[in-house]
Amino acid sequence: MKAEATDPLDEQLAKARSGDQRAFAALVRAHQRSVYSLALRMLTDPGAAEDLAQDVFLQLHRKLSMIESSAHLAFWLRKIATHRAIDRLRQQPAASVAALEEADLLGVHIEGDPLLQRQLRELILDLSPAARAVILLRFQEDLDPLDIARTLEMPINTVKSHLKRSLATLRDRVLNRDARSEGHLV
Amino acid sequence: MNDLEDKMRDALRPVGPTDGFSDRVLARLASGTQRSTQEAQARPRFHRANSRWVSIALAASIVVAVLIGQQWRVQQQEEGLKARRQLIEALRVTSDKLDLAYQVVNDPSPSEAQHEPGV
Amino acid sequence: MNLRIAPTLLLSLLLLSSAGAAESPALLRLPNFDSLTERASESVNITLDSTLLGLAARFLDAEDPEDAAAKDVIRGLTGIYVRSFTFEEDFAYPRTDIDTLRKQLSAPGWQRLVEVRSRKEQAHVDIYISILGEKANGLAIIASEPREFTIVNIVGSIDLEKLHKLEGQFGIPKLELEKD
Repeated sequence: MKAEATDPLDEQLAKARSGDQRAFAALVRAHQRSVYSLALRMLTDPGAAEDLAQDVFLQLHRKLSMIESSAHLAFWLRKIATHRAIDRLRQQPAASVAALEEADLLGVHIEGDPLLQRQLRELILDLSPAARAVILLRFQEDLDPLDIARTLEMPINTVKSHLKRSLATLRDRVLNRDARSEGHLV
Repeated sequence: MNDLEDKMRDALRPVGPTDGFSDRVLARLASGTQRSTQEAQARPRFHRANSRWVSIALAASIVVAVLIGQQWRVQQQEEGLKARRQLIEALRVTSDKLDLAYQVVNDPSPSEAQHEPGV
Repeated sequence: MNLRIAPTLLLSLLLLSSAGAAESPALLRLPNFDSLTERASESVNITLDSTLLGLAARFLDAEDPEDAAAKDVIRGLTGIYVRSFTFEEDFAYPRTDIDTLRKQLSAPGWQRLVEVRSRKEQAHVDIYISILGEKANGLAIIASEPREFTIVNIVGSIDLEKLHKLEGQFGIPKLELEKD
């Protein structure tokens, strides 16, 4: 019989549940990139993203007794971060692309293809909060559509529809860009 | 298409917050217990042109009232959080038992589930 | 029949019970379970009257889906009482305590909604509803499994469908009962 590998985060989780602040800090460090990135790319404002990310971890601290495992923890953090971000976006107007041109506030970077990078940023900003969350969970967090549906409490067909439309839009923009480029080469 | 998706994955790799993020989270956790003290201390002071002893007595009674108020708030918070935890647990147990009944009723193997008439 | 019809019956009976739990006929007199508590490896003893429910509700986070679901369920309730015991051996709890409760639930006003018996799981679950003047004002669940015995008494206006929808919250895995 194979022995199951134990996740070191499970041990930290158990300690954090008992009030060990260092263990809680370890959980924060393990997940802060994921949570902050989701917040940043949803809210497009590093200050707001930091606030939201902090709020998520403060809420985690209150809810530690309910977290069963490190896998549950990852699921819970993504769920709370995206739900909070969607709620906040609904209360405030979306940022414009122009406002973001001066700095890469989304933390999106494509080596050697600044145009695609800009198109991807524009696409993300054009998306509704829910569709944006779907894209981020798919391509940042590498979740499959079923897990995205569970995280966002959204029907799976809606998830697939968001993915299909968003990718088609981006593909069209890339193709149009390539067609224009080819035209210039003639 | 896969090339595009790969580029998206690459472009959307997680980025971290600025250094010290976990420290800031812990600091906020710690300040949560101190916030009520700060709020109590931010109250407006009373200005009285009375004798020194009356002023001292008044100041002392305000401090006592503030401390009692603070203690009451802390106690209320503890009781409230305890009540919330118990509520969540009660609802978890209830839902668990309803699910148990639901599973038995929906079990495809021969069941002895009985149903009341008219339901 | 399945549990989904029972909520329809329940939902058709509307009234927010204005009486406190203490005055309500839907409040069960729960036996003193000290002997069970001593024998049990784990026990849960929760008593939330209307004051404590109100206090708990103030500390529920409306932005948290779990807390929001809880707040929705307890709207209209005046009391929640849970006694649950887990044992190291099968059927280590006496039937007398269960029989005492069943006597109360055979009184006028209580109606058994569901009675399920599973030979495979050796589980018995009885769900009762209290009706006062054509309105539902309480719920009781008695669940006995080989190593666990649970009583739940909820007083006030209750929605079974909302309670059932709590699956997936509070760490309870969602049941994959319906295929896509």
